[in-house]
Amino acid sequence: MRLVVAVANLTLGFVYCSYGVMTILDLKHGWRANGLSHFGLAWIAMAFTCGPHHLEHGIHLALGRTGGPLDLTAVLVGAPAGIGWFLLRVEAVAGGRGDRFVSGTPRWVAALPAVSVVYLVALVGAAAFVLRNGGTFGPRVVPNVLLLGLYGLIGYYLLRTQLHNRARLDGWSMSGLALTFVFPTCGVMHAVFALYASSGRYVVDGHGLVIDWLAVPAAVYFLWVVRGLYVGGRSDWNRGAVGVRLASAV
Amino acid sequence: MFPPARSGLTRCVVANRRRRRTPDVVAVTVAAWLRVGIAITAAAVGAAPHVLTTRQTALFVLLGLVWVPWTVVVLFAAERSGSQWALLGGPIGDVVALFAVEVLTPSATVAMVAASLVVVAFAAYTVGRAFAGGLAAASITMAVVAQALVPSSARADTGVLVSFAFAALAIVLLLDRTSAVQFRTSADAARLRGTADAVLTHIADSVIVTDADGVVVGCNPASERLLGRPARELVGLPCATALGLRHDDRVLDCSRGCVLLGAGAELGEDVWRGDRERRQPVLASATAVFDDDGRVLEVVHSLRDITRLKEAEEAKTLFLATASHELKTPLTVIRGFVELLRDEIDVDARALALETVHRRTIELGGIIDRLLLSSRIEAGRVELLVTTVAVLPLVEERVIAMASTTGREIRLDVAPDVAGAAGDPAALATVLDHLIENAVKYSPDGGAIEVTVAGGSAVTFTVTDQGIGMDAEQLAHCFEKFWQAESSDVRRFGGTGIGLYIVRSLVNGMGGRVWATSRPGSGTSVHVELAVAASEPPEVERERGEATMIREFMRQIGVPDGSE
Repeated sequence: MRLVVAVANLTLGFVYCSYGVMTILDLKHGWRANGLSHFGLAWIAMAFTCGPHHLEHGIHLALGRTGGPLDLTAVLVGAPAGIGWFLLRVEAVAGGRGDRFVSGTPRWVAALPAVSVVYLVALVGAAAFVLRNGGTFGPRVVPNVLLLGLYGLIGYYLLRTQLHNRARLDGWSMSGLALTFVFPTCGVMHAVFALYASSGRYVVDGHGLVIDWLAVPAAVYFLWVVRGLYVGGRSDWNRGAVGVRLASAV
Repeated sequence: MFPPARSGLTRCVVANRRRRRTPDVVAVTVAAWLRVGIAITAAAVGAAPHVLTTRQTALFVLLGLVWVPWTVVVLFAAERSGSQWALLGGPIGDVVALFAVEVLTPSATVAMVAASLVVVAFAAYTVGRAFAGGLAAASITMAVVAQALVPSSARADTGVLVSFAFAALAIVLLLDRTSAVQFRTSADAARLRGTADAVLTHIADSVIVTDADGVVVGCNPASERLLGRPARELVGLPCATALGLRHDDRVLDCSRGCVLLGAGAELGEDVWRGDRERRQPVLASATAVFDDDGRVLEVVHSLRDITRLKEAEEAKTLFLATASHELKTPLTVIRGFVELLRDEIDVDARALALETVHRRTIELGGIIDRLLLSSRIEAGRVELLVTTVAVLPLVEERVIAMASTTGREIRLDVAPDVAGAAGDPAALATVLDHLIENAVKYSPDGGAIEVTVAGGSAVTFTVTDQGIGMDAEQLAHCFEKFWQAESSDVRRFGGTGIGLYIVRSLVNGMGGRVWATSRPGSGTSVHVELAVAASEPPEVERERGEATMIREFMRQIGVPDGSE
């Protein structure tokens, strides 16, 4: 299981870093024509903090850190959304559509809220089980808790945008939907990390600590951008209606 | 009575002082970002050591899980201008966080007290002295409380707290004062700018600002109207190209600086723009704006279109020439016959001389009446009493009188169904007299003059001659004051050029309308349309005798007829 979790984390780390590079290239091409893109910069900051976090975690797992079943579950639950979204981005970079329109609300989409609630309840139960013998909560775990809240808020704003678009288009953007779920699942991964760190299963080393603390301002910046786009106080490269603006970016 | 301008300005400043201070949005936003950064850094620093005391662990967990989220909330609140969460919540959160540090890390007390000063200073700058004063008091209290909570060995020197209190007081007062002055200056500048914008937008004069090199950098809406180009096209053009001013026949050369600046005329220079065919007379002046070293920064040009003024001057000159000519002609005849009467002449010649003097005197009276009426119309002192006019008897009376006076045949055709017209009888009579007189004057070769009155939804009077007629441009101007078809008409036909102006003014005053149709050489028809009166016309005496003469006299001098 340790290796499976390691491979999953390494894959995610590679995916994030790759997307960071793609965004840098995109920003470089469009810089002169469109000016500064806070969305692009925030994405780069996110990609190069989330990516290294997963790479670092994966490497440590590969080198002997004991991977937990909750860690594996969190990565596997987040993987379809993350990888699906990344492949769509790759398609867009290659000149393709980079998105799929899901007409109406199919059953699997309608079931997502219920599945999410079940997943979260199960996680809370599992967390209680892990901490049944008590735990130690220290400053080293704080960034992971902060990231859980920040990613949850980002997911919230992205979800509001998707709901706005659904009402307007009577359907869903696959890319937008995938990204909406990527952030909460990432948040859950950090929560699981904090849980295992508090229970003593994981030891927070210096590398991970630096990366996670850097991820906090990056997440604040990304949340600031996403919220600004959502409430209409900020415009970026993708101009248009507020809801559409964000959807076309993701 | 209005107070002097200086007093008015002072009152505005007082009003501004009472107005709520607008926070510096940029400062609040920058501070919010800084606060997030500091909170994250502080929490991250606490995570670095592997071993922490219980107090330190509690402190850094608190900073990370409470202060960091709080600063993020404040950051988002700062995006809304004037948000109380950002203005008040940020500094309050800071002070509480500093208190936590003071309690949990006594060795950092002095540093935290110094940090409190920064927070108080920021609050004084962005919110005001009341809040900052309260915050300073709270900080001092918290520092004292913190000292009571920490072990006595770790307590800070009392002098530090006293110094902090004085420093906080001084900072609050100074920054509040600075902020208030800045706000007042900014409000005054905004108000002055608003006033200047309003003046420049609505002023009738064109104001054009050029830089020291004579390139247009701004202009007001009146400039767009005067120069016939939008501001965006004017900005960036050289002054000479944009304004195109000429003095006599030469273009004003601005290549060596603004010529108008050196002109020295207080009220402006008489210049013109356009081409020879369509000259636009302009009164131009310029004033320079200097920098502190006395160099010209900008030149403010003011241009006033004086086309109408010039036209009025020309009309006045024409009027004086015409009136003089008109008055001189009968006067010359009268003087000749009076000199003749002083000699011994036979009875027939004497009778002829007296008759001629009488006729010319009446003619002079008519000219003076017209001039007087024109000036009364101009001054708005002619009052018309619109009532029901019995059309047929009035028109018959004026046609007979004018036929008798002019010796010309005038045909009258009144439709049988004509109702009473809504008008002033005296004014309508004057209108008909002027129209018939004009028809006679401008058909010197004879030809029938026809007066028709048509009924229907309105009463329309038409006076038609077979005279010289007018072209389209002449028709467009024929109702203007002192206008005649050609300047040579003054000598050829005589007259003051105010007859049709009087007609238009009186008809408009009666709520009607007047227009003319004509072709050169084919005669002219002037139409007057009045509304149908609501009530039936009164029975009018056909023979009025003395009463008619009095009314006529009163009509001529513009007195409303009391018998109506």
